Amino acid sequence: MSVQGIVIINLLGLGLIMLVFNLVRIRKLYVGYGVIWLLSIIGLMVMISFPPLLSLLPQVVGAVYPASALSLFAFIFVFLVLIFISVQLSVLSTRQVELIQWLALSELLAQEQDQQNISQDDNHEEV
Amino acid sequence: MSQQVLIVIPAYNEEQTIANILMRLRRAAPEFDRVVVNDGSTDATGNIVAELGEKQLRLACNLGYGYAIQTGLKFALKRGYDIIVCLDADGQHKPEDVPCLVKTLDESGADMVIGSRFCNNRPYKTPFSRRLGQLLFSHLTRLLIGRRIYDTSSGFKALRATTCEVIVQGSFMDFHAETIVRLSLLGFKIVELPIMAEERTFGHSMHSFTSVYHYPLKTLLLTIVAAMDALLARRTR
Repeated sequence: MSVQGIVIINLLGLGLIMLVFNLVRIRKLYVGYGVIWLLSIIGLMVMISFPPLLSLLPQVVGAVYPASALSLFAFIFVFLVLIFISVQLSVLSTRQVELIQWLALSELLAQEQDQQNISQDDNHEEV
Repeated sequence: MSQQVLIVIPAYNEEQTIANILMRLRRAAPEFDRVVVNDGSTDATGNIVAELGEKQLRLACNLGYGYAIQTGLKFALKRGYDIIVCLDADGQHKPEDVPCLVKTLDESGADMVIGSRFCNNRPYKTPFSRRLGQLLFSHLTRLLIGRRIYDTSSGFKALRATTCEVIVQGSFMDFHAETIVRLSLLGFKIVELPIMAEERTFGHSMHSFTSVYHYPLKTLLLTIVAAMDALLARRTR
């Protein structure tokens, strides 16, 4: 990759890092996810800034071109991130369901308790 | 009967039918308790249930049929009921059949009795796509548990509290084929009782155009998961 390309990609990477920092700062991105994104952006920047590292990739996966090896790793990374996000969404969804059910159960149980107390009071008054 | 019975009625926008169902239940099974799980209805369902003085579990938003049933089962377990009957609020099940379902559960010693619309070649009109799904899951169930259950998607069933404890914890969709497979493989006894059912005349079915295709796939996945779960549980026993 040309020096110009490396500089542009690094500038883009720095911009993305700033974006992640800002999202964490304004609490729109959970710090745990922020760390994952930061590590992946920095990893990509390092890989592209040092061409010998980039040329190692195709050897690892047996690809001919570094670009195809990088695409493969990018695809695997995006796939894993999507799976992770799906898991997190499912966890949140389950928690939401449990919360809504707990609210409904508590409301009815409290109502029943109130009715029981009222009927007990009535019985006391009758006695 | 010394056993405490709770009838769980999940309802989502059933203002046209809910009052009728509750009144008929009062007449047909006065000795049983009832609870309506109002699954985030946006119509007058909640008000009607409240006006009738019936117990109501109000879910803050629409969670879907399976979670509505699960809420009712959780309530039953918290309150210590011995038998729980699930009955749809759309009017397709006859409230008059509830005592019969409970009696069958008692006499057969079963853990779950399913009110079956298709058992013994009962005439029940249903769209072709749904009938096809029924057949598919009926045969899949036979493949997995070794016996055929004719109506895997019936919402009309009676269960013992011990059975509820198992299915409330496991993965489920609408407590249909996946629940039958899980319970059967865990050694619970399931019995089908032929019933007469009617197609809903008011409101909308829970199955939209997309869910007709989505629902079988999700149920298929969960049925396989339930089978794996049950087999693993049997191994670790």
